[in-house]
Amino acid sequence: MDIKTSILLWIPLLPLFGAIVNGLFGRHFSRPLVSAIGCGTVGMAFVLGLVASADIFASNGEARLVQSVYAWITAGNISIQLSFLLDSLSVIMVLVVAGVSFLIHVYSTGYMRDDPSHARYFAYLNLFVFSMLVLVLGDNLPVLFVGWEGVGLCSYLLIGFWFEDPAKASAGKKAFIVNRIGDLGFLIGMFLLFGAVGSLSIDDLRAGTAQGLIAPGLATAACLFLFLGATGKSAQIPLYVWLPDAMAGPTPVSALIHAATMVTAGVYMIARLSFLFAISPTASAVVALVGGLTALIAATIGITQKDIKKVLAYSTVSQLGYMFVAVGVGAYFAGIFHLMTHAFFKACLFLGSGAVIHALSGVQDITKMGGLRKKLPWTYWTFLISTLAIAGFPPFAGFFSKDEILWKALSSTSHAPWASWVHLAAYGMGILAAAITSFYMFRLVFLTFHGKSRLDPSIHVHHEMKSMSYPLAVLAGLATVAGWVGASLFGIHSFADFLDPVVGAAQKTAVVMRDFAHNHSIEWAAAVGSVAVAFIGLGLAWLLYIKSPDTPWRLAERFRFTYRLVFNKYWVDEFYEAFIIRPIHAFSVFLWRIVDVVIIDGFGVNGPARLLKGIGHVGRRLQSGNVQAYAFWLFAGVAGALLYLALAVGVI
Amino acid sequence: MLGYGAVLVLVALGGTIAVVFVGLSRYLGPRNANAAKLTTYECGVEPVKTARERFPVRFYLVAMLFIVFDIEAVFLYPWALLFRELGLFGLIEMAVFLMVLVVGLIYAWRKGALEWE
Amino acid sequence: MSNLVSFGYIVPELLLGAMAVILFLLSAMRRRNLLRKTIFPGLAILGLMAALSVLVNRTSGGIFGGDPGCISGCSLFFGLLATDPLADFFRILVISATTICVLISIGSPALPKGRTGEYHGLLLVMCLGMCLLSAANHLLMVYVAMETVSLCSYLLTGWDARKCRSREAGMKYVLFGGVASGVMLFGMSLFYGLFGDLSFQGLHLALQGSGALSGAMGQWAATLSVVFMFAGFGYKIAATPFHMWCPDVYEGAPTPFTALLSVGPKAVGMALILRFFYSIFLFPGSMETVIGASGQIPWLLLIGIVSAVTMTLGNLAALVQNNVKRLLAYSSIAHAGYILMGVTAGGQEGFEAVSLYMAVYLIMNMGAFAVVSLVEKASGSEELQVFRGLGKRAPLVALVMTIFLISLAGLPPTAGFIGKLYLFAALLERGGFWFLMLALVGVTNSVVSLYFYARVLKSMYMEKADTDLPTIPIRNPAAVTATALSFATLFLGLFWQPLATAARWSATLFH
Repeated sequence: MDIKTSILLWIPLLPLFGAIVNGLFGRHFSRPLVSAIGCGTVGMAFVLGLVASADIFASNGEARLVQSVYAWITAGNISIQLSFLLDSLSVIMVLVVAGVSFLIHVYSTGYMRDDPSHARYFAYLNLFVFSMLVLVLGDNLPVLFVGWEGVGLCSYLLIGFWFEDPAKASAGKKAFIVNRIGDLGFLIGMFLLFGAVGSLSIDDLRAGTAQGLIAPGLATAACLFLFLGATGKSAQIPLYVWLPDAMAGPTPVSALIHAATMVTAGVYMIARLSFLFAISPTASAVVALVGGLTALIAATIGITQKDIKKVLAYSTVSQLGYMFVAVGVGAYFAGIFHLMTHAFFKACLFLGSGAVIHALSGVQDITKMGGLRKKLPWTYWTFLISTLAIAGFPPFAGFFSKDEILWKALSSTSHAPWASWVHLAAYGMGILAAAITSFYMFRLVFLTFHGKSRLDPSIHVHHEMKSMSYPLAVLAGLATVAGWVGASLFGIHSFADFLDPVVGAAQKTAVVMRDFAHNHSIEWAAAVGSVAVAFIGLGLAWLLYIKSPDTPWRLAERFRFTYRLVFNKYWVDEFYEAFIIRPIHAFSVFLWRIVDVVIIDGFGVNGPARLLKGIGHVGRRLQSGNVQAYAFWLFAGVAGALLYLALAVGVI
Repeated sequence: MLGYGAVLVLVALGGTIAVVFVGLSRYLGPRNANAAKLTTYECGVEPVKTARERFPVRFYLVAMLFIVFDIEAVFLYPWALLFRELGLFGLIEMAVFLMVLVVGLIYAWRKGALEWE
Repeated sequence: MSNLVSFGYIVPELLLGAMAVILFLLSAMRRRNLLRKTIFPGLAILGLMAALSVLVNRTSGGIFGGDPGCISGCSLFFGLLATDPLADFFRILVISATTICVLISIGSPALPKGRTGEYHGLLLVMCLGMCLLSAANHLLMVYVAMETVSLCSYLLTGWDARKCRSREAGMKYVLFGGVASGVMLFGMSLFYGLFGDLSFQGLHLALQGSGALSGAMGQWAATLSVVFMFAGFGYKIAATPFHMWCPDVYEGAPTPFTALLSVGPKAVGMALILRFFYSIFLFPGSMETVIGASGQIPWLLLIGIVSAVTMTLGNLAALVQNNVKRLLAYSSIAHAGYILMGVTAGGQEGFEAVSLYMAVYLIMNMGAFAVVSLVEKASGSEELQVFRGLGKRAPLVALVMTIFLISLAGLPPTAGFIGKLYLFAALLERGGFWFLMLALVGVTNSVVSLYFYARVLKSMYMEKADTDLPTIPIRNPAAVTATALSFATLFLGLFWQPLATAARWSATLFH
């Protein structure tokens, strides 16, 4: 095994080491030391990732490294290796995860400087990085699932990081429980695949799919169950409800886990199993439609939110929807591309919002901000760049990736006869969502940074810290340039080519190009269209929030029902509460009071116990203390033995 | 099995006769009970107190010691008869046996088992 | 083998007897000096150690290879006694048990101060009787040895004459023991009357129908006498329904002696049953052939039924006890049932399991009683409530007790688990339907037994004492002994091979 392969193990192991050291001994360390361990291990993991991926970059994605550490589970004919795989797909994920994590760790040293649980925070954060790296490096689904569960755990721990506040603790629980529902789907999907192929390693599954071991119906079922897992982890309809509440965690956590990395795990998983989704047009169509719908719905909710982080949370849900549209229409590389650019600009946005919140000592309501442009220049400029990126203005990163997704949705279809309508619908929802995105993002920028200050006069605006500004600058830079690597507009498909060894075959299976797919003028027209809707959104936001700031409130009054519907997030939480949680709760109470207490405990557990104790009491009665009675039993025993022997031999 | 039949007949016969005789006397004999007739029969002597009397435990102690040495004496007879055949080994064995009994006697003596009062 | 030569093989017994005589003589002396307090236990241990060292010296060659002289079995005193691995193994067991008993007796308040010499003398005589019983190969010897053990037991049970309960226990023991001995003796006399022989070999021939009185009639007469004798043996090991004396006697007897009583007579009773049934059925190999030869009399199933009933009754009755001594008494009845599973399984494996379990049971049960004795000494009672909060008051004692209870319940990593493993393995290896059923009953019983052992644990660790209970002093021989036994329990739970080797050796009976 050459050196590049054997360092794969160390990429996740380093953050784990940091988590253990900080978790066990961090309380006794000084804050700079804790920060150094936290940032250092993640930084080193990033460097190791770069070293390991040298060959893969050199061969333009062709090379792949597999490191088998040991046989993790061996039982009967099941053999599951603890092994890691580094190919072009996981290279991108490893570098994005480790790189963004490193920046956010650095940012956190400033943001969490005064928190009493500083060491615990870094331990959790490192543990998260470890789990996420295991997830993206896993060579088989069980290892991937370990990472999947690990990030879920860290997400729970970090959302409820300030667990003294019951609302925050219950937000953590909500995320955990909603994710469990998705995980169940993931597990069932895994079992189905194991049943068909007899292995869960990615290569075996790929080979099995190629050999036709997985029947189309089974593939659809497995994909849909896996997608259920993805909707949980990646906050898609119907399981997206936990993500906005997850904003209860510290803002860098929101940036890292709930925007840049963990929530994209579902997209990564589908790209990883693209060969499987490719043979099921039905499942792919479901993925694309759910993605498009989520993108649209979440964007509309974003319009009305007043909490700076909630707006960003819905925008995350919405952007994740785009990624699912991409993997749903078979443009797997486009999904990963948007995943990467989104990681940069969304992390930047969240960190920017964190800087604002930090500067205002905890204010999150954008209606109580305004005019912060001068006071927080670093934050303002980076935030603006990232907003331009997410809204899809060229030449910022978001434009390239989002345009790629929309173009692929428009220009392709799949083998199913109805698929062209599905792709068109996804495109329609996507382009509509793009306009709304541009609108609510600029609403956010204008309300926060422009106009007159609506701040509570008692609030003193802290100035910006370097440890927080530098990561912002780096991320803003990346949000600007990251799109260029995939700029297919100019006839170069470098990003697509790089991922081609992993997802190319699947894409060819899944996608049927429409006749105009190679017509550059239509492609240009589509690009102009998406820029145009971004401008429409921008213009509307300018009109409503800069030109005449009173209009929005009047509109809200005028369309009162619609406003309340959207503002209350379509009452989805209430719907779930009434139609899912309450009935389940009632059923659980039934199970507890009747089935468990009366039937299981009563007849199953306590019943035999009481019976035995009763017999014990009878046995105690026999022990009367009377020696004559004892002697009687002795003779009775002798007589019984003789009777038994006689009966057994058949004399009597 | 049949060889024992005669015994069975004998037992049955004896039982029947006993039951018949006791039953006859009970049926035929006159019954007029008085206090004197109902007392314990003590060969004509007036009973003075209850028959369930407690004996001093010393009776038992002496009785047990007596039995031990009684058995010793009984055991000495066959040994004496075979003394020549057993030889020196027999002599030593008996000496050990007597030693053990003597130790027991010494123990009983020192513990006061031989004192009546 | 002639008498003179035979004496060479009963040196341990002779030593024990001599030391007992010395102890009685010393205690009869009227001088009272300061030494007396320690001289009696000291001399008793000296005698026991001398006997043990002679035994170990003679057998160590046999256990781990080699076969010097008469070690693999021959009869002494013209067939009265056997000397073979089985006898030697159990002799070592009972001498060790008596030693432990002497150690935990030191300073026990249940023993009147004035009669220490007699107490130890009687212990040695009882040990002598147990040694003889484990080697007895002739019904006359069985009776004499058993009565030696019983008479000493009666006296020692009622030793604490100040306590009404102790006197009552002694009396009940005498009466019940007398009845049981009578029944056994009746069986023996029947046998002698029918066959004119009292040796085990004679029994074997009679049951095979080839003795003096042949045919079905002879077999039935022999069967009758064997059942009567079994009642006597069952009384010694406290198997249902001959166990009724056991709870009252264990509760009433002085606790250190209860420890011995719960282990020693049971061990030699098991040795006797092994030798008896092995002899009268058939010598080498399995018992299958024997059952055929002795007229389809299902002896093994009879023992199996006794085993199942014994453990079930013992465990169920233990569920409702509030006195720890009484609880352990029922537990020891249940353990007799477990050990009988090994007898039922038979063969080399079964007998090996019996020997192994007996050794393990000796360690853990005496340890548990040692702890009870310690608690009793400190708080004047052995009710469950005085164990409350022991985990706080006396963490070491509570920990030691925990180890014993876990082992008695048969959970790993303790010796009790290994013992049960061997018993169940022996049954399963045998494999017939009824044997599997018996194993099932055994497993179920183990589960039930968890409850009452856990009750003591709960009391020690989870309940608070109502009143102020004293701590337990641990700088005394009893506490040290208990701790050492707990170490042994753990050690044998992890590293049981030497003991298993010795047990295997003991089961080579008549090869």
